Amino acid sequence: MPTPTLTQSIVITLIQCLLVVIFVFVVVPLTVFAERKVLGHLQMRLGSTRIASGHTGLSGFLNRGMWKMGKVPVLSYWRGIPGLLADVVKLIIKEDIIPDKADRFVFFLAPSISMVAAVVVFAAISFVPGTFFTFPTWFPLVGGLPVSGGIADINVGLLWILGVATVGVYGIVLAGWSSNSKYPLLGGLRSAAQMVSYEVPLALSLLAPVVLAASLNFTEMATRMAVGMPIWALVPQVIGFLLYLTCGFAETNRLPFDMPEAENELVAGFHTEYSGMKFGLFYLAEYINMTVVSALASAFFLGGPWLLPFGLQGLLNPYLPGFLSWFGEPHAIFFVAKIIFLLFTYIWVRGTIPRYRYDQIMAVGWKYLIPLALVNLLLAAAIRCFAV
Amino acid sequence: MFKNEEMEINLGPQHPSTHGVLRVKLRLDGETVTHCRPMIGYLHRGVEKICENQSFFQGQVWTDRMDYCSAVANNLGWAEANEKLLGITVPRRAQYIRTLLNEFNRIASHLIWLGTHAMDIGALTVFLYAFREREDVLDINEAFCGSRLTTTAFRIGGLREDLPPGFEKMVRKFLAKFSDCLDEYEALLTENRIWKKRTIGVAKLSAEDAIALGVTGPMLRAAGVAYDIRKAFPYAAYAEMDFEVPTRTEADTYARYEVRMAEMRQSARIIQQCMDGMPEGPVMAKLPKILRSEVNEVYHATESPKGEIGYYLVGEKGSLNPYRFHVRAPGFINLQSLPKMAEGGLIADVVAAIGSLDIVLGEIDR
Repeated sequence: MPTPTLTQSIVITLIQCLLVVIFVFVVVPLTVFAERKVLGHLQMRLGSTRIASGHTGLSGFLNRGMWKMGKVPVLSYWRGIPGLLADVVKLIIKEDIIPDKADRFVFFLAPSISMVAAVVVFAAISFVPGTFFTFPTWFPLVGGLPVSGGIADINVGLLWILGVATVGVYGIVLAGWSSNSKYPLLGGLRSAAQMVSYEVPLALSLLAPVVLAASLNFTEMATRMAVGMPIWALVPQVIGFLLYLTCGFAETNRLPFDMPEAENELVAGFHTEYSGMKFGLFYLAEYINMTVVSALASAFFLGGPWLLPFGLQGLLNPYLPGFLSWFGEPHAIFFVAKIIFLLFTYIWVRGTIPRYRYDQIMAVGWKYLIPLALVNLLLAAAIRCFAV
Repeated sequence: MFKNEEMEINLGPQHPSTHGVLRVKLRLDGETVTHCRPMIGYLHRGVEKICENQSFFQGQVWTDRMDYCSAVANNLGWAEANEKLLGITVPRRAQYIRTLLNEFNRIASHLIWLGTHAMDIGALTVFLYAFREREDVLDINEAFCGSRLTTTAFRIGGLREDLPPGFEKMVRKFLAKFSDCLDEYEALLTENRIWKKRTIGVAKLSAEDAIALGVTGPMLRAAGVAYDIRKAFPYAAYAEMDFEVPTRTEADTYARYEVRMAEMRQSARIIQQCMDGMPEGPVMAKLPKILRSEVNEVYHATESPKGEIGYYLVGEKGSLNPYRFHVRAPGFINLQSLPKMAEGGLIADVVAAIGSLDIVLGEIDR
């Protein structure tokens, strides 16, 4: 295999960045769409499960879909698309209002911080260990070179992810503060308190796989967690997964922990004063964060690019018959499928349970999650000492 | 270097969970509410004064627009108060139909309360489920009187029309499924840990305070006082109905939730009895061409879904319109208990308290 020159590496990295950005901007609208559809079916909403066009083609969608309701075949997956498109168009062309008394610079800065922090995390997430694909030899400049499954598979991948994800909270706090309005201020303060509290159990629950796998490298960890763990390691992984998922809900401000933007208490929380595409950035950031949290859960607990979760793959592999060996190898499609399932879980939970009160969220975090995460870490360490 | 300061904040008049144009002035110490005053009047239309200038017949359309979630209950109170004033006896069949529609209205009103209250606490799904069943009740309203929300369902002296054909089938169909629907809501809420955490012990209002403030309806019954005008001073056909008055003693938001859920089941029971025992006969009393008041003044109270709605009418003997008209609006009086419930709690509790009050601003501001 030829060693790439500097130019070639840069080009490959840029291509990887492009792929990740495409992935993000495909997954996020699909999540929003799925949220409408799934919630629509869970809650018997009429709009999102029925708005569609009576005619085929894009013009049919855009021009007639909105008011020709109910005149489409019963089984149409794309019902609800006009609503989504209309929302995107609305976000883009809406007037961008800046409050008079707002701190204009910070007001601009806040949504970008949220957005950038959310996207940059993807740098250290690797979708599949080793080579993702190889360029065909006729390809100009980078022909014949392999592309790895992540942009930067660095040795401190997890640290990077946790560190950058924490920066995202600045976006929310600054948005709340710079709006110079009371409801956003309360939302910003709540989010600061909530994120600081839930950052701790989140990191602690992720430490269990770190201890078990003895690595911070994203690929190495995912691989070791999936294959090469004793069966005992199942216990800390399952507990850790549930802890992580709970904290993940809190980190992404989703129900039942959507304190910073609790609509019925704080109007719209930290983004009350935002409109147009600035609000759109917060909105995007929230969904990207959901994807990131799902990607981490998928990699560290659910076996990442392997088929089976919680390290069960290693048990299965020796017994796989030859013609099914495809299922014994890592594939990006398994990774993505797990992300999609976790995203569905987000929506599912939102449709089912009410919101915690602010002080109750704190109590849950400090009194239950952190002690449980510590015990879980101890358990993982014991297994590491005696069983691995 | 640091100083502590309380923040004053307006909850409303435009806020997702003040159920209309209620404005609540809050003073916050962090997130704790130290001071809470409801400010009303944003929806004042002068309903009482308008009714004084109209004939006895015309006033009813204004009662629709007071508590627009329970228009039928308001119509019933208005019609009966006028009948007392004018000395009219209503035929028995009309009484039964009135009772039936009134209980349907109680269900519709409680469903709105359930949906919005649950949504305030973050349970989005219940809202849409509740509105699905409310839609059926509105269809029944529509079948009976042609309109869905502002019904103007009754006439002084009885009803304008008898039940339409196919009405009984609609009612029976609704009754057959409604109990399961209630179970569905309860499955989402009653044993839900978060729902319990958010409501148990929140926004307490003891029986003493409730009586001192004049609070009536489910709020009072959740504090352990079994005062229901349908039982205490039966009107319409309630004397012939067999139903219970659900009460709880905890006096918190969860108790109010339980009381209202139980009330919906009782309402379905009353509807069943009305439908089964529906007498034959005329639905309208013989009335003179021009209505003139027979007595000087009358106060008539009925149990609306929100509490005691009382109509006070003063009519000089022989006059064509009421000389003075006043409504004892349950929402208006119940709302006065908000500071008692909310002060000392958190912002989220204020929202839960407002939700458990079940207020409609159209009635409070009139």
